[in-house]
Amino acid sequence: MSVDIQKFPGGEFALTTADFFINWARESSLWPLTFGLACCAIEMMGAYASRFDFDRFGVIPRPSPRQADVMIIAGTVVKKMAEPIRTIYHQMPEPRFVISMGSCANCGGPYYDSYSVVKGVDKIIPVDIYIAGCPPRPEALQYAVLKLQQRIRKMKPSRTAMATIPQDKGARTLV
Amino acid sequence: MPEAAFLEQVTQRLKEACPEVSVAEPSPIKGVVNFKVTRADTWALVFKTLKEELGFEFLDFLTAVDWKGPVGAQGFIQDPNPNPFLPEGATPSVTPEPPTPGFPYREKIELVAAVSNWNKWTRVVVRLELPREAAKAPTLINLWKTADWQEREAYDLLGVVFEGHPNLKKILTPDFIAGHPLRKDYVHVKDQYD
Repeated sequence: MSVDIQKFPGGEFALTTADFFINWARESSLWPLTFGLACCAIEMMGAYASRFDFDRFGVIPRPSPRQADVMIIAGTVVKKMAEPIRTIYHQMPEPRFVISMGSCANCGGPYYDSYSVVKGVDKIIPVDIYIAGCPPRPEALQYAVLKLQQRIRKMKPSRTAMATIPQDKGARTLV
Repeated sequence: MPEAAFLEQVTQRLKEACPEVSVAEPSPIKGVVNFKVTRADTWALVFKTLKEELGFEFLDFLTAVDWKGPVGAQGFIQDPNPNPFLPEGATPSVTPEPPTPGFPYREKIELVAAVSNWNKWTRVVVRLELPREAAKAPTLINLWKTADWQEREAYDLLGVVFEGHPNLKKILTPDFIAGHPLRKDYVHVKDQYD
């Protein structure tokens, strides 16, 4: 499905579907929440900064969950932080996406035997994309955003039943 | 650099105030004088002397060490019978290593506190060994306000009870974690996030 340009004398107009148009708008401005938990957040900041330049994907960090589309769980999720993370997730407007960044957020990582660490953020909230690494490189985070854009292209926002495919499946894609 | 004469004066004055205070030899921390206190009821008096008479006005840290052992690679107490197919009460197949000078384990919890005198550029460490089952010490909150959270942390993670503390409750671990996680014999009960 794509855009069909129709020409007529004096101008032109574009024909497309609502699904394509809405998905195009969503995937081109994925605004993540400014939200770092541990050392993976340093790599996330590196991805935002000028060397890797997340802006060219339309990824601009937002200070409020009300304005955000993506939550990047960058770092170790401790049990005391679990409830605030769930609250922030529910404060984000739908459709909302979650990227789990690094071994700690995926499964607990090196702190698996600890008494204080959640064994994977997917025990609290549904996760769309998992990134392996400890910490992942900024390129890996950018690849995860590209994967998320591919996922969004498969959504059908015009049909309510299919509007939220990635979240409902809790799809596990290891980047 | 700390002056040897001033440290000598500190040791003498401390021994006058509390006769059971001794200097740990060899020092557990290289280059720092470590005082050992043997009785819990003189713990506050030692720090009162250090602060008000000898000018140690800054509390660097106050924490505790669990010396129970021997421990395995993951920090837990070694299981003497790791084979699960042996019957209950079988002869232990693993002989625990005796304490060594490198790891002198014993059934004690040791309080460690460091104080500094910035006029003399000197820091000393005071240690107090407590029994693991009834680890109780007087609070230092009347001398330093900063002792508040550090004592709460030692209580939360290691179970040292500070008598006289006005607000001795958990500071770091969430409410559903029972027990004191940094004790060597802590057994974690699985909760909803495990």
